[in-house]
Order: sequence, then structure tokens, then C-alpha cells
Amino acid sequence: MSSLETLTLLEMAHGRPEQLSGASGPSPLVKGVRTAVRGLSAFGHRSLLLIALLALWEAAPRFGLIDPVFLPPFSEVIAAGWQLAQTGELYDDVSASLLRALSGFLISVALIVPLGLAIGWYSRLGNLLNQFIEICRNTAPLALLPVFILLLGIGELSKITMVIYSCAWPLLLNTIAAVKQVDPLLIKSARTMGASPQQLFRKVILPAALPTIFVGIRLASASAMLVLVASEMVGAKAGLGYLIINSQYSFLIPQMYFGILGITVIGLVFNAVLEALERRFMRWKPVAAA
Amino acid sequence: MSAVKIRFEQVRKEFVTRGAGGRPAGRFTALEDITLDVHAGEFLALVGPSGCGKSTLLDLLGGLTTPTSGHILLDGRPIGGPGRDRGIVFQQYALFPWRTAAQNVEFGLDIAGLKAKERRDVTYHFLDLVGLSGFADRYPHELSGGMKQRVAIARSLAYDPEVLLMDEPFAALDAQTRETLQGELLRIWRATGKTIVFITHGIDEAVVLGQRVAVMTSRPGRIKEVIEIPEVLRSEAEDIRALPEFGQVRHEIWSLLREEVQKAQQSAGSVAALRVDREVKEVAHV
Repeated sequence: MSSLETLTLLEMAHGRPEQLSGASGPSPLVKGVRTAVRGLSAFGHRSLLLIALLALWEAAPRFGLIDPVFLPPFSEVIAAGWQLAQTGELYDDVSASLLRALSGFLISVALIVPLGLAIGWYSRLGNLLNQFIEICRNTAPLALLPVFILLLGIGELSKITMVIYSCAWPLLLNTIAAVKQVDPLLIKSARTMGASPQQLFRKVILPAALPTIFVGIRLASASAMLVLVASEMVGAKAGLGYLIINSQYSFLIPQMYFGILGITVIGLVFNAVLEALERRFMRWKPVAAA
Repeated sequence: MSAVKIRFEQVRKEFVTRGAGGRPAGRFTALEDITLDVHAGEFLALVGPSGCGKSTLLDLLGGLTTPTSGHILLDGRPIGGPGRDRGIVFQQYALFPWRTAAQNVEFGLDIAGLKAKERRDVTYHFLDLVGLSGFADRYPHELSGGMKQRVAIARSLAYDPEVLLMDEPFAALDAQTRETLQGELLRIWRATGKTIVFITHGIDEAVVLGQRVAVMTSRPGRIKEVIEIPEVLRSEAEDIRALPEFGQVRHEIWSLLREEVQKAQQSAGSVAALRVDREVKEVAHV
């Protein structure tokens, strides 16, 4: 589409495209249309199942295969979302959820990754903390939700703390494992080249551990969304979790479905950002056959 | 004969073996009474069956461990720890997978605190020396085994160590690549004048590369004999493997290793002897 736009601009500036490209080859217009069609068909190919499912979602309630009260057609869900967006309610909920998820996740990464690196590096520290870590990570974060609310109230603090807590365990365990799994031969090799302990850590341990740390980061992001939605459902005045549960209580079913879609979209965007970061930092990794 | 570069004086290395529950169970002697001089600029090959303590000897030289008794002197001073006066090339390359070939070569210089501009020239010189100037920006996973080992050799040479320690560096390569790299290594040795200690379990490889070949015994590792390789086998032009002298020296070393087996068979139980026998067959087979 953008190529078509530029084309019209070019036409306005220089006249007909035939005069630009001369007699040889197809005109830029034809080329542009071809690329657009090709791109669209590639997208269609990959999203075939998704499109089919959305079509089924639209059709099933309309043809009475399923009660439209419990599963409204896709278009009605989108219309409800449009309404939410216009009243500004959607913006409030999305921004509240994003703020909680992002701040909790980022605080957790900033605190826990260095802690994990230290525990992995100093085995004495690991021995000291091992039992405590085992107990904490085997206590499901959601089970602690009432405790957090009792101690920290129903405000932002308890929700962000929940997110930090739930992110902490996958981050911590993967970071510790990442440091411990560094190939001893690489350490040996760096030591023979006279690397000091600090250099060894910065130039060998850290880059070697990064891929496994990223596994922890991906797991933590999924955990952050899960716990966030649950805590917003229990006690909140805004947020997508609140939107979902509140819509259900008020029997605004299309709105409830839109809230669920919102969670999905945020999850997808989060994941895409992390994937892009991973690609950026780990260009040296062999690419698995597609 | 030129000055002594490395001197082993009755070096002994013991390890504490661990039994059930990780408690010390006994002591295992890996190396015993190693006394050997390596001269400056010499190419010394160390050959022995696997498990004879070759790699322990290399760790000692690299300063990664210390001898239980005895001394290892480098230029007359005891080795106190790892240092850039010795470069080690490992069998499994040990390249950093997140660094390109050039970045791997400059690792030692980076550690030494050289600035990027100064590192660059040295790096390209040594990549060129190992014939990889066109592959500077490739990551290790994009290189073949032979190329990886070339990068590892360039990396060890880049920070200009006086001694190059090589631990079966070509053992993981196919026969053809191995032979090419053996030739390249001799060329690099002649060009740089480094002292090289080359550990191998291949008799042919030891004879092709070494000016002297030290034959080790197994369990505990001792120096059984040091064999001078005739000057005619050091010729650059001829196919030395085809010379009669090559066969003679090869047979001499093979017999020394075989004696080891027979001794082991007489003293040890049949199971252990079989194991040693298999290992020596492995060695003799190459």
C-alpha cells in the first residue's frame, strides 16, 4: 500500500509512470500491485487457520450453532471494544495493566538477574540460599495472593509485588543454571590467557550465560501476565483483568471477550519484543533450520 | 644446543580419589618422576597411551595446577600460575561462540588491555598467517573443524607467547585436514621460532612434527625415553612418510609402547591389562 502511495506522489511530480520507466519491463504500478498481492497471499497462507477460526467465531453464533448470549459474534466483540475505546475506559485499563506488568517485570529482571549471577558464581552463597529458594519457588504465587493483599492492601503495591515475586523464580533459577552451565573449557581457556576473575566474569561467564538467562526472561514474562490478570480479578479498580471479571459480573459478555483479546495482544507484543531483543543479542547463535 | 626453556625436575602429581559419599578414598599418582628439558625454539612431541597423564602435564605447564612435588621451571623460574608467556591450544578448540574469528583471535590482547586499534593489526596478521583472512567476521559455528583449530592457533599466537602448548589439537579432525594442518604448524613454527610442546597419541604425528619425541609410560606417567628424530626427517621438501628412516623411528616408538603393555600385563590383573592393551593398540594403529 505504501508503495502505491509513493507511486501516486511520483506520478504527481513526474507525470505518468510509463514515461519514468521507459519502454522496458513492467511499469512500477504493476510491480507494486504484484508485491502487495504476494505479501498478502504470504500473510494469508500463514494465517489460514486463524482466519478460519475467526470466521467460525463469527458464523457459529449467527447461525444458532451456539447461544449468541454466551459467545457473541466476533464483530460484536470488536464493536464493544470500539465503544470502550471511545469512552476512554479501554485506555485506562490497558495502561493500568501495562504499567503493572512492565514495572514489575523490569524491577524483577533488574534485581533478580544480578542476584542469580552472584549465586551461580559464588557456590557458598548458593549453598546458603538453596533451601530458601526451593521453598519459595514451590509455593505457587497465586496461593500467596491473599497474603500480599493483607499485607500490602489492594493498591498498586500488592499487584506489582505479585508480578515481581512470580517473575523472580524462573529468572533466578535460569540465571543460576546459566552460570553453572558455562563450558569449563572456555573458562580454562580464558584463564590460560591470563584473564582476571573480573575479566573472566565479564567476557566469558556473562556472554556464555546470556541465552539461558533469556529463557528465564521469556518464562518470567508469561508468568507476569498470568499473575497480573489473576490479581486484577481479585481486587482492582482498573486493568484488563478487572475489565474481564467486571464485564462478566455485569453480563456485558462482548466486552468480556474483548478484554480477553486485549490480554492476548499484550502477550503477543511482549513476546515479539523479547524475541527481537534475543535476536539482537544472540546473532552468534546457529539458526535452527526453519 | 640452545638454552633450556622449560625444565621438569622430578615432577610428581597425585590426585585424591573420592569414594562413596565424596570422602577421600585414596591417592592416585598421575605423574611420577618427570625429569625433562625442553630447549628454546624446540618442537617436542609427547606421545603416550591415553590416561598416561599427558593432559595433567599440560595443565601443570599452563599453571592451572601445581605439582605435588618437584618443580617446573620456565626460563629458570618456577611456574606460578597461568600467564600469557604460554599459549594453549586445546583439542576441542575452546573458541568463544559469541565472538567472530577475529574477535576470538584478539581475546588475549583484549585481556592484556590493548586498545582496539592496536589489536586490529595483530589480529589480521595472525588470521593471515593461518590462512583465514577472508573469514574474520565468521562466527565459530560457521567454520569447519579445521578452520576452528586454525583460529585457535592464531588466538594463541596473537599475544606472542614464548611457548605454545598443544593438547592433541588435531585429534578431532579428519585425516586429510590433519595432515594439512601438521604442515601448516611446521611452517608457522619455522616462521615464528616458538618453543612447542605438542601432546598426541598418534605415533606418526609425533614423528612428523617433533624434533624429539618423548615417550610416556602409563599409570603412573613417566618419561620412558626421549628419541631424537633424524635430521633427514625434518626436510621440508620431501614426503618424509615415505623415507625408510620414518619407518625405523616409527617402529622404535611403537616397540617402546608395546613393552609398556607387556609390563602392564605381567603386573596388573587381566582386566586392567586388557584395557591397557586396547589403548596401546589404539595408539599403534594410527
